[in-house]
Amino acid sequence: MEELIYKLKEEIIDVLNLEGMKPEDIDENAPLFGEGLGLDSIDALELIVLLEKNYGIKLKNANEGKEIFKSVRVMADYINEHKTK
Amino acid sequence: MEQLFDIIATCRISDKEVLVNQESILHHGQENEQDWLSTIYHHIGLQYPKFFKMDRLCKAGILGAELLLKDYTYDHETVKEDWGIILMNAASSLDNDRHYQETISEDNYYPSPAVFVYTLANIVTGEIAIRHKIGGESSFYVMPDFDEELMRELLVQAFNADPKLTHILYGWANVDHDLYDVRMFFCRRNMKA
Repeated sequence: MEELIYKLKEEIIDVLNLEGMKPEDIDENAPLFGEGLGLDSIDALELIVLLEKNYGIKLKNANEGKEIFKSVRVMADYINEHKTK
Repeated sequence: MEQLFDIIATCRISDKEVLVNQESILHHGQENEQDWLSTIYHHIGLQYPKFFKMDRLCKAGILGAELLLKDYTYDHETVKEDWGIILMNAASSLDNDRHYQETISEDNYYPSPAVFVYTLANIVTGEIAIRHKIGGESSFYVMPDFDEELMRELLVQAFNADPKLTHILYGWANVDHDLYDVRMFFCRRNMKA
């Protein structure tokens, strides 16, 4: 799981163009939206694309993202349970 | 007859140089490892992480606005309904449109929302407005060349049509491949006119 969390941080930094950030700078338990990384709605859409592209997970409803993207750890747990790639 | 407005600041960003009020502040050297716009970003000490999510046109516009306003004292906290933005270019959002086209050119493609959102030229006026809390009217024109006479007419029309309008950021912001042609200006209504 820790390996997946690290990989996910790298992927988030890459797809969201978080310039100058390293995986070590991201707290896997901190909120991704609002405080924490302060991501926005476009970032949320990018994360939905990331789930499908890298892990084969298609969200039935974009609103599901609200729960799945609470933190990197919550996202990793979800990926672990639902990935098809 | 008094001028209707005064130009307070000018800036120019080309492939090779950055000028503010006609003074060179940075040259593009061969030794720069990062891309030119990022080099300018770091050189002027801008701290705005959203910059790195933008397409090149928006980055160029944001840098132009930053250079124009860096020495101007203004309210950074309140939305300024009396400020406007008028920009022009020839390439529209083509530089980013090509990039987006690449992301959807494979058979099994995954379109990037963060790229798609910049496939509109006038988004650059929005990004400038967000950064500097500019709440007045904004417009973007796609023209073959920078028509300075037309721009002057637009500025006069804007100031005459809205008595509350006090400041306008305007100019030309063209980005196409690695060619940058940004000529931006900041003007203020002449209260004596």
